Amino acid sequence: MATVTIMDPVTRIEGHLKVELTIDRKGAAYQVTNARCTGTLFRGFETILKGRDAWDAPILTARICGVCPVSHSLAAVKALDAATGRKPPANGRLIRNLVLGANYLQSHILHFYLLAALDYAAGPGTAPWAPAWDLDLRPGGEAIVTNLAQAVEARRLAHQMGSIFGGRMPLPHTFVSGGATAVPTAERVAQFRDNLNWLTDFIRSIYIPDVELLARLYPDYLAIGKGSANLLSYGVFDLSDTSTKTLLARGVVAAAAPGNVKAFVADSITESVRSSWYADSTDNLKPSVGATVPQYPKTGAYSWLKAPRYGGLPHETGALARMWVTGDYRRGVSVMDRHLARAREALKVALAMGQWLDQLAEGQPVHNPQAARTDGNGLGLTEAPRGALGHWVQVKSGKIAFYQVVTPTCWNASPRDGKGVPGPMEQALIGTPVADPQRPIEALRVIHSFDPCLSCAVHVMMPGRAPTVVHRPG
Amino acid sequence: MQVSRRAFLKYCFGSAAVLGFDNSFLGTLDKALAAGGGPNILWLSAAGCSGCTVSLANLASATAPTDVADLLVNTIDLAFHPTLMGAAGDLAVATLRQASSGAYVLAVEGGIPTAFGGRTCTLWTEGGREFTALEAVRALAPGAAAVLAIGTCASYGGIPGGAPNPTGIRSVSAAAGRATINIPGCPAHPDWIVWTVAQLLAGVAPKLDASGRPAKLFGSTVHDRCPRRDHDWALGYGEDGACLRGLGCKGTATRADCPTRLWNSGTNWCVGANALCLGCTDPAFPDRFSPFYGSAGVLPGDHETTTKQCIACHDGTPDD
Repeated sequence: MATVTIMDPVTRIEGHLKVELTIDRKGAAYQVTNARCTGTLFRGFETILKGRDAWDAPILTARICGVCPVSHSLAAVKALDAATGRKPPANGRLIRNLVLGANYLQSHILHFYLLAALDYAAGPGTAPWAPAWDLDLRPGGEAIVTNLAQAVEARRLAHQMGSIFGGRMPLPHTFVSGGATAVPTAERVAQFRDNLNWLTDFIRSIYIPDVELLARLYPDYLAIGKGSANLLSYGVFDLSDTSTKTLLARGVVAAAAPGNVKAFVADSITESVRSSWYADSTDNLKPSVGATVPQYPKTGAYSWLKAPRYGGLPHETGALARMWVTGDYRRGVSVMDRHLARAREALKVALAMGQWLDQLAEGQPVHNPQAARTDGNGLGLTEAPRGALGHWVQVKSGKIAFYQVVTPTCWNASPRDGKGVPGPMEQALIGTPVADPQRPIEALRVIHSFDPCLSCAVHVMMPGRAPTVVHRPG
Repeated sequence: MQVSRRAFLKYCFGSAAVLGFDNSFLGTLDKALAAGGGPNILWLSAAGCSGCTVSLANLASATAPTDVADLLVNTIDLAFHPTLMGAAGDLAVATLRQASSGAYVLAVEGGIPTAFGGRTCTLWTEGGREFTALEAVRALAPGAAAVLAIGTCASYGGIPGGAPNPTGIRSVSAAAGRATINIPGCPAHPDWIVWTVAQLLAGVAPKLDASGRPAKLFGSTVHDRCPRRDHDWALGYGEDGACLRGLGCKGTATRADCPTRLWNSGTNWCVGANALCLGCTDPAFPDRFSPFYGSAGVLPGDHETTTKQCIACHDGTPDD
């Protein structure tokens, strides 16, 4: 007889997530046979933005998430740049890359050491790390926790570095439409470089080896948590003022043909609401004309996340997708592959940041005020540390007439779509072996591998919903 | 709970100037810690963005606690924090219930939604039922030794409470019906949080201003201490050293010590990177100052906006 285990709160993520697992006996052990992911916070940013001055968008949308605010700010200014025909000068592009890069390093290090690693090794024996489920903690993992203090320092330093051109971290606002506000000087560049060198060393000599150690201790997790294995990246870190080339490439990979990277077409994105509490009349709309018409109750719905689909299929997004599309990591798709790709991406970004520092030109402008028009439609596509992020804007009379955000965790933690196909995280959970249904640490490991950020996934729990079954051990 | 008394005192003495402690406070702290023990801290994440938690993790000091790891291991007992804690699911909820059965300080990050019966923000499932942030603060605030509202969302509603406030966000104090110590900021500065916690551990109730903020930290305006007070106004973006008044800086209306405390271990601050002060510690943030890149919230309607220098009309003394 199946057990339904509700894990709520899922901790050591950003934001609010509830996961409902159906766990069945499979021979001598157990396995997850069904999974439903739900975010439990809704704030309504698209509503709050409507009617405000367009230049408020990069500031307000940054507060969608305090871990990846720079990505939202960047998507917003790119959308405004597109809508108004503004083109940042080279220094502006580089400042944007450097502040974003600093936050990538902070985010990846935070994620591995403070959020994910504690599924595999006991943290310091005090609150908040204790108590915790202590099962399947394999000998050797404690070496990772001995680096916890240094990792805390590393992510702090990454933010310190970012503040040189961000003003303050987190939640900087030196990005504006047309470029940036922070000015490069020799002194600032030297200070940034100093910090970057330390961080690059940390990533090479501590972070990457720790992830590789984890993969050696838990090799079974190279075959757990695959999910849909369709991969999507919008690309990030603009390398040129004259082309759309990015450090991490834009593209799409189908699970059936993992060596074949296809060009991304924005028009191929639709959002299903079949399992979401929105009116079916809004089903399968493109985000540029998306509508949010709440409907509750609704048969078969269980989430306030819509289900974004590309070409009608669920797609995983994040460091693994980016590194795969770029061609830098193609070992496989699993829990451990996500951690390995993320660590290697951190190094790739750190090395590129050194080059961007070299390219900054003292005395050259960081902002270009010229705009082709006041009003227009714009799409800002970028990548937050945890995946593909898009901001769609319509500016009319300088105000926000329409704003839509599709976030990486909406892709990853999406519910089932109109064909009943589960989202990437749900698929990754199904089939996961579980030793103890009351303490499904294995499921937690799968969830954490996606680096979920639920503040970004805008959705809501509705009133009056009857709770589902908890803990009926079979 | 064991507070590492020596380490914490070392921190307080070492950071006294920065944190604004005086000798009498340190003496009180010394006595209180000698008496032993301290409360658990329970941290709820409501309708916010976790930016204040990330900001706290940027804590740095030359003396103990040197950073957030040191703070968590050696100084405070953060018994519940959903972003950081080891436990998940039922074990996390059990940990919360156990910790709240003794002495505790309640810290809340994020505003409290009240629309739809508060169900746009649920924090945990217990006994088969989802608990809303609204229920949680109402259940936990009354028994807390103190309630800290961390960040502008918890203190006053913040950006999720921005018009039209679709989820009915209220401040923690309004939702819980109990006065809170408000540590605003979007995000809050890690020093502001640690300073306030230090006060509480010493059994000292900090003096609060009319908006519930520690008066010691939020007494002066950003403009009062701004190094660009008498500089020419910026005409565009990316002008080092220029006054940002003409671009919409909210410093004249905002109470915070950012220009002197600085951010990220004294590295920089918003204005230092030629970005406006947004007014993020203000009770009416963001709506008072929106649209940000304009005169909203700072210049009276008839203020001459083509003036390029404040000192053309003002004599440069505070509050002029």
